[in-house]
Amino acid sequence: MTAVPALAAPPAFSRVWNVVRLHMISKNTFIVIPWLIIAGATVVSLVIPALLAYNGVSRADISEGAVNSWAVLSPMWYLCAVAVLAIAQFFPFSLGFGVTRRDFYLGTSLVFLISAIATGAVLATLGEIETATDGWGLGARMYTALFFDQGSWIANFFLFTVIQLGILFVGAAIATVYMRWRMWGMLVFWLGSVVVIVVGISAITFSNSWTLVGETLASLGVMGVFAWTLVPIALAAFAGFFILRRATPKN
Amino acid sequence: MSTIIEARGLTKRFGSFTAVDDVSFTVEENRIYGLLGRNGAGKTTIMQLLTGQDFATDGSVSVYGQSPVENSRVLSNVSFIKESQKYPDGIRAKHVFAAAPNFYGNWNPELAEELIAEFRIPLNRDIKKLSRGQVSAVGVVVGLASRAPITFFDEPYLGLDAVARQLFYDRLLEDYALFPRTVILSTHLIDEVSDLLEHVILVDEGRILIDTPAEELRGSASTVVGKRVDVAAFVAGREIIHTDGIGGLASVTITGQLSPAERAAATAAGLELAPVSLQQLIVRLSSHESMEGTEL
Amino acid sequence: MDDSRPIFLQIAEQIENDIIDATTPEESQVPSTNEFAAFYRINPATAGKGVNLLVDEGILYKKRGIGMFVATGARDTLVAKRRDHFTAEYVQPLLAEAAKLGITTQQLAEMIMKGTVR
Repeated sequence: MTAVPALAAPPAFSRVWNVVRLHMISKNTFIVIPWLIIAGATVVSLVIPALLAYNGVSRADISEGAVNSWAVLSPMWYLCAVAVLAIAQFFPFSLGFGVTRRDFYLGTSLVFLISAIATGAVLATLGEIETATDGWGLGARMYTALFFDQGSWIANFFLFTVIQLGILFVGAAIATVYMRWRMWGMLVFWLGSVVVIVVGISAITFSNSWTLVGETLASLGVMGVFAWTLVPIALAAFAGFFILRRATPKN
Repeated sequence: MSTIIEARGLTKRFGSFTAVDDVSFTVEENRIYGLLGRNGAGKTTIMQLLTGQDFATDGSVSVYGQSPVENSRVLSNVSFIKESQKYPDGIRAKHVFAAAPNFYGNWNPELAEELIAEFRIPLNRDIKKLSRGQVSAVGVVVGLASRAPITFFDEPYLGLDAVARQLFYDRLLEDYALFPRTVILSTHLIDEVSDLLEHVILVDEGRILIDTPAEELRGSASTVVGKRVDVAAFVAGREIIHTDGIGGLASVTITGQLSPAERAAATAAGLELAPVSLQQLIVRLSSHESMEGTEL
Repeated sequence: MDDSRPIFLQIAEQIENDIIDATTPEESQVPSTNEFAAFYRINPATAGKGVNLLVDEGILYKKRGIGMFVATGARDTLVAKRRDHFTAEYVQPLLAEAAKLGITTQQLAEMIMKGTVR
C-alpha cells in the first residue's frame, strides 16, 4: 500500500461532544417530556392538598399524608425508556455517522451525567422552595416527600442525582445486552437475574439474616445506602461499555 | 493512483452461514466502484466490514492503511449511506442535516440545500412519517453533501422513483467531477449505473466473480444469433455463458472481444452479433457460475 | 452509448466524426472531459480515456490552462485511417449481404452508380 497522508482525527472531546449534541437534537427527550411529567405530578400534588384544605383538613395532617407521596419519582419510568432508547435507537443512528462505539458510549454517558445532575439540581432547589413555603402554602409535600428531606440541598441533590444515574446506566446496560446478543441475550439476562435474586433471597432467608440486613441498612442510613449504590451503578456503566464494544447495528 | 482500501482473505460467518468467503480486492483512490450482485450476495456485509460496522471472522481490511474498526481517524473520512438506516423516534430530516456537518469535515451546506429542494424532502416531518423514497433521499443527500473522501452507498436509492434515481446519478457525477472522491456503490440495478462506473466488482454468494475495469467488461461478450448449426460452428472452442433458442434458431452468448476479422467472419456466415449489456453480462455470468456443466 | 464496445472508444469515435465532417475544425477547441461526461452521463475517467486516446494518436493536443484542441493535419490522418478500414467495415458486409440475396457484382455496380447520382 502506498503511503497516504497522515490522517488526523477530530479531537477526542469534540467527537464525544458531537454524540451529546446528537442525543439532545430533539429537545423533547431529555428536557420537555420529563418536565411535562413532573409538571403533571406537581399539579396533582397541589390540587389534592388544596381540595383537602378547602374541606377543612389541617395543614399538619396534609403534610403527614403527603410525606409518602411518590409523585416526585413519576418521571423515573420514562427515564428508563430514555436510557433504553438512547442505546437501542441512537447506537445504530450514530454508527451511521461513522461514530466509534467508544465515542458513542462516552457521549451517551456524558448526556446521562449532565441530565441527571441538572435535573437533580432543579429538584433539590424545588425542595428548598417547598420547605421554605411550608409546602407551597398548603402543607403539600412532593419534592421533600419520602426520604428527600435530608436537611441540606447538597444531600437531596445527591439522592436525586444518584437515583437518576442508577436508572439511566442500568437501563442502558440492559439495552446493550440486547444490542449485542438480541433475543437470546435478553432471555439469558432475565433468567440469570431471576436466578440470582431467588438464590440471594433464599440464602438470606435460610441463614436468618434478614434482621442483619435490616440493621446494616439502618446503620448506613439513606445517604449511606445511596452512596453504596454508586458501586453497582459504576459496574453497570463499565459493563455497558464493554458489551457494546462488539455490538453491531444488526447482529 | 494509490490504493486506499484493501481486503485480504476477508471472511464473515454467521453461525454456519458464510456471508463473505475469502474475499480479496483493492480499491484505488478517487474512482467510482460498482459493488454489484444479487440480493443476498454479500454486498452489504462487505460494506459493513469495510466500514468497521461489523467484525470480520477472518482475513483483514485496511482503509488508509489501517483497520477501520473503532478508528475515528479513518471513519471521520468515510460516509456509509445505507437504505436500512434507522432513525430514532422524534428525529426529523432537519435534525439529520443539522447533525451531519458535525461528523463530516467536508460537508457543503449549499449543496445540501440544493439537493433537499431537488429531492423535495419535507424537513419538518418526523422521519418515521416520511415515504420510503423520502427517507432514501435523506440518506442520498447526506452521502453527496458530506463529500467524504470515501463514500459508500449501499443501495440507498431503492426507495427512489426513476426520476429521483436519475437525479442522484447526475448529481453524483457532477459533484464527483468537481470534487473527486472514492465512491463505492452497491446495487442490483446494473444497467442504470453501468455508465457511471469505472470499476466493477461482482459478488456472488460471498465470493468475487469479477474484479475488472468497467471499460474492459464492455464489449467483452457478444451474443451470436443464427441457425443452430452455424452458431455452433462459430462458438466452438469459446467460453459460453448463456444459450437460448427457438425452433432452428440459436442465441449463444460467448465471452471474449471479437476482432474485426472475426466479426466479418460471423457476418459472412450469416450470423448476427448482438451487444451484451453490462447487466446481461453479469446476470449471465452469475447464473453460469451456478449452473456449471449445463450443456449447450 | 452502445453496449457492444467500450465507451471510451465511442467517445473517441464521436470526436473523430466531428473532426472529419468539419463540425470541429482544426485548431478549434473540443469540449472538456467533464463536459463530455456530463453530456453523455458517464464517468469522467471514461470520457478522459477517450480524449487521451486521441491525444496519444496526435489528433488532439492540450493547451495548458485552456483545454483540448484539434491538431493541424488531424482530419487528413483520420480520413486516411477510415479509408483503411472502409473495406472491412462497409465493403465486406455489403458483398456478404449481396451474395445472400443473389445480387451480382454487375447489379451491385449499377446500384452504386444510381446511388451516387445527386
